[in-house]
Amino acid sequence: MTDLIPMAALGATPVRASFGPLTLTEEEGLTLVSLALPVGFDASVTEVPLPGPGGYAIGTTSVFWTGPNQWMIETRDLDATSRALAPLPDARTTVQSDGWVSFRITSEAGAAPLLDLVTKLVNLPADQLAPGRATRTLLHHLGCFVLRRSETEMAVLTLRSAAGSLWYVLSGAAARIAAQEAT
Amino acid sequence: MTQTRLPGGLIDRNQPLSFTFNGRKLQGYQGDTLASALMANDIRLVARSFKYHRPRGIFSAGSEEPNALLTLGEGADADPNTRATVVPLREGLVARSQNHAGPLGWDLWSVNDLAAPFFAAGFYYKTFMWPRAFWEKLYEPAIRRAAGLGALSQLPDPETYDKGFLHCDLLVIGGGAAGLSAALTAGRAGANVILADEDLRLGGRLLAESDPLDDAPAADWVARAEAELRALPNVRVMPRTTVFGVYDHGVYGAVEQVSDLPGAALRQTLWRITAKRAVMATGATERHIPFRDNDRPGILLAGAMRAYANRWAVAPARGKVAIFTNNDDGHRTALDLQAKGVDLLGVIDSRTGARPFGDYPIFAGGRVTGTSGRRGLRAIRLAWNGREEELACAALGVSGGWNPNIQLASHHRGRPQWDAARLAFLAQGGPEGLIPAGAAAGEGSTHHALTSGHHAAADALRQLGLTTPAPALPRAEDRQGGAEAFWHVPGKGRAWVDFQNDVTVKDIKLAHQENMRSVEHLKRWTTLGMATDQGKTSNVTALAVMAELTGRSIPETGTTIFRPPYTPVSLSVLGGGDTGAHFRPTRLTPTHAWAKAQGALFVEAGQWMRAQYFPRPGETHWRQSVDREVLAVRAGVGLCDVTTLGKIDVQGADAGEFLNRIYANMMGTLAVGKVRYGLMLREDGFAYDDGTCARLGESHYVVTTTTSNAGLVLRTMEFARQCLWPDLDVTLISTTDAWAQIAVAGPNARRLLSRVVDGFDLSNETFPFMACAELTVAKGCPARLFRISFSGELAYEIAVPARYGQALMDRLMREGADLGVTPYGTEALSVLRIEKGHAAGAELNGQTTALMLGLGRMVSQKKDSIGAVMSRREGLAQDTRRLVGLQAVDPARPLPAGSHLFREGAARDTATDQGWITSACYSPHVGGHIALGFLEEGDTRLGEIVIAANPLQGTEAACRVVPAQFVDPEGGRLRD
Amino acid sequence: MLIPHPLLGPRDAQEFTYLGDAALLNRPDPASGTAAFCDYVYLRDNPAGTHRELWYHEYGDRSWLLVTRDTLSHEILDVRLAREVKTGGTA
Repeated sequence: MTDLIPMAALGATPVRASFGPLTLTEEEGLTLVSLALPVGFDASVTEVPLPGPGGYAIGTTSVFWTGPNQWMIETRDLDATSRALAPLPDARTTVQSDGWVSFRITSEAGAAPLLDLVTKLVNLPADQLAPGRATRTLLHHLGCFVLRRSETEMAVLTLRSAAGSLWYVLSGAAARIAAQEAT
Repeated sequence: MTQTRLPGGLIDRNQPLSFTFNGRKLQGYQGDTLASALMANDIRLVARSFKYHRPRGIFSAGSEEPNALLTLGEGADADPNTRATVVPLREGLVARSQNHAGPLGWDLWSVNDLAAPFFAAGFYYKTFMWPRAFWEKLYEPAIRRAAGLGALSQLPDPETYDKGFLHCDLLVIGGGAAGLSAALTAGRAGANVILADEDLRLGGRLLAESDPLDDAPAADWVARAEAELRALPNVRVMPRTTVFGVYDHGVYGAVEQVSDLPGAALRQTLWRITAKRAVMATGATERHIPFRDNDRPGILLAGAMRAYANRWAVAPARGKVAIFTNNDDGHRTALDLQAKGVDLLGVIDSRTGARPFGDYPIFAGGRVTGTSGRRGLRAIRLAWNGREEELACAALGVSGGWNPNIQLASHHRGRPQWDAARLAFLAQGGPEGLIPAGAAAGEGSTHHALTSGHHAAADALRQLGLTTPAPALPRAEDRQGGAEAFWHVPGKGRAWVDFQNDVTVKDIKLAHQENMRSVEHLKRWTTLGMATDQGKTSNVTALAVMAELTGRSIPETGTTIFRPPYTPVSLSVLGGGDTGAHFRPTRLTPTHAWAKAQGALFVEAGQWMRAQYFPRPGETHWRQSVDREVLAVRAGVGLCDVTTLGKIDVQGADAGEFLNRIYANMMGTLAVGKVRYGLMLREDGFAYDDGTCARLGESHYVVTTTTSNAGLVLRTMEFARQCLWPDLDVTLISTTDAWAQIAVAGPNARRLLSRVVDGFDLSNETFPFMACAELTVAKGCPARLFRISFSGELAYEIAVPARYGQALMDRLMREGADLGVTPYGTEALSVLRIEKGHAAGAELNGQTTALMLGLGRMVSQKKDSIGAVMSRREGLAQDTRRLVGLQAVDPARPLPAGSHLFREGAARDTATDQGWITSACYSPHVGGHIALGFLEEGDTRLGEIVIAANPLQGTEAACRVVPAQFVDPEGGRLRD
Repeated sequence: MLIPHPLLGPRDAQEFTYLGDAALLNRPDPASGTAAFCDYVYLRDNPAGTHRELWYHEYGDRSWLLVTRDTLSHEILDVRLAREVKTGGTA
């Protein structure tokens, strides 16, 4: 393995902070692979789930829709994912792990604080924020993926270079929600 | 009566609150507004008027307030022009009056009132025209000082603001009888409902009235309704939330007042609400009846007086109170005041046949013709039964009927329609999906409001495909208004129509005399309705007065419409809290922290922050640093983070053909493992971006764009892919951020790189100029290497996954210590490329062509590409301007970018203009100032002296026309 | 404004970049010469009323959409993926 020491998006180590019921964590160890398939591909030949528009198939390897015939794969085992994609001869993949920063947001108090937070951040109706949904939208003038993993967990992804701005917005909104709940 | 505080009310007498007004310490109770608390302390004079500095008091009990604008708080927290009627009283509140010189009671500017004949409408337009120069220097500053509202603190707002987004099936605007009824119906039906009300407390007028619901106080029903709504998971109850505007497709703007306390975690939230349907249950605003001197403190809207008595348990003054009305509603005020023990002078009813509703004097067919009392009402003149008399009176309630609050319905240019029976404008042709209900729909009685709220919700539910539950509404009063048109009391003197902008009946007459016949002209000439209250209490009355003057009906006279915001919105909350450095996002390169540690200065490049230069100890001027960095690159090796360049991954069977059509030059023929410079044109034939294209595999290319055009190029390529040639098999993925890319430039570049690559042969033979490869560095880090040069030196760009960018930079710095390795920033980058004659943003400014750039032959004639056809059109093909180098004759003399080029001795005008300088710098390599520019027939004029003139700054410099490549024109170095 | 995206449902207009007249879908044959391209590049309809126009879902799925919109009322009458319009040959 290389002797270059990797950096997290905001410094030497991934950031993590809690605000009342909400905890924000920079995700590490996930490999992101973007996948594009030509028109007329045959989805039945692969084990990799390929969800439809706005969809997010959550599993050990998760996949979310990013555009017509395009997906993003979240995996911890790139080799296995490559093998699973092998039957798709025309699959175009690009490793994107370093293109994005992903902040995981979890709630200790059910879905409500999570929804309060997301309500302050993105202009999306509730059905597009339900568990199993993934949406690319604008957040603080940044293109972001908003992934809802479960009732109490979501993730927001943006360009790695904008990690500082996204952290400012997420942590600021979470802090205001915590402060309001405290009063 | 010895005090103004009355029994009862919805205030909590167990919670006294202290506050100050103009330094005076006062007391009120929890539940008071600032206005009711001032009234409870018998303070009537609270403000001075905008133009005449007339003494003014509280006029209303709601957000329509035109007079009682106060400044709250101190220092940076000072909030001017706050309507005292909507501020909940709190402990320690500091309030001050505004717009006066000296104490409020002895305002020096009230001389304006004595000079009133000179200040009528149109006065400024006519008077301060001449001499022209005096306007800006003398008249306007003086007028502005004397006129106006409160003053800003001039300090940054220290409070916290926020924004957010809500979505619902039904937005109910207003939480009075109609709104509560609508929200209950829709909430019980299971719809997602948002109920927003500007007041701290739900209930609207129900809180202001003494009428029971189901034989119990209305406030009890309101509390039960609120409890039910709050218990429903599909209903969001939002008090203190003003819906201020209606936008396209069911988008509503709202501001929620979260806290009033200075330093609170959050002060206000700006909400953008997307609603499938909305109910406009915004209630109605009472109008007044103008009569002579009707603006004295102590003269209020009668309905407001009733609200103060019932909800806040306060009388408008100590002493006798009279009511002046043209309808039955004025009598309700009289009855409620009487029930609270207020000493009633009587009801003056403009209707000749009017009868009392209780035991109080009535002056049927009477009218108020004047008032007296310098700082507050002392007496009124009553004309009744053919005689006029003066009667002592401390407060007068005026009721001229009610105007439905239809503002939101006309935000999409919906023209209100006059309803002659109700004497009111009703909403018509409003935004789709916005359903009026209750008093806002002209349904004034509580019974009608409750029923119409239910029906409005039922309409919305039906449109949404939901089932409406049976109504369960309380029994309520169902009185009719019985208004008879009576718009103003004619006579001498000034009768105010618009209190906030100081517009009188006389001004409207004057406008009419001056031939301002359209209401739009009337409005603009008199400024009527153009104050911060948008004429909530004045517009309709003014129209009626104008109709009377012109002998036309009100519908014939027409009406103005309203615009957002319904009530004033602070700029702070519109900003949504993102100020200063966080006004917009910034993007940082992977080596940002490292560069910062090196002492770099940064420059904004779009959203990016890039290292501009790296000053070293002893360097006192940026030029010293930049010159050193440039020379270090040319003599040794330099490192520059170029991650910001856009990178687009192009894959697919037809990727080569696709790129042929995107680039002006041929790209499909590029060999695997090679890089080519590429130029992109717009379809109109002008150049718009350039960069390199590397072919990593048979059907895999990586396109780089300039930093600023990364988004635009991807958008254009997606347009080509989806809209022009969808038959091509190609996919695009932006990978800008995935790779940290570092330029390694200078004669020692190869030696340095050879120390970090893992056994990769960098020799010229194996890896020549314009080669590219995927490899590993530093014992296994995946990397991409491109042998390209922006500086003209032997150079590479090496890319590693972004997380390793900083470590790679560190490694290269360490490994290159003996090779003179030097980090360089964007300034040196720019000097290096100007010295080499490479085009950049200033040359590719959207007005230049491949031909002008000296790249005419790059535009392939063998294939079609975006812009190819138009680049060959006559006007472009015959352009004779060419990119040249310019060298200052006096090396010490700068050649400012933007200068225009002229022949020596020629006039400096557009006819003799020969071109312009695009980029300029001091070149340490040349030892003088140099520039790039476009010059007429520049390619044939090498050696000629031309003049670079900057007429804006009056500077000129002679320069010699030279080839654009100041460095190594043969290109030997980069191929070495 | 809300743009009803054919795949994703109503989405706020802030996520989109506007281009204009959908005639830009009909790029002339390169052999047809500069006159045809001049029309294509410079002559656009700008009607007060029904207008077919191109919107790019830049902060969404990066689809180009063909939106039919009434420019007076902002009513959106039809939205389709530009790519499908092109491959369907109905532009």
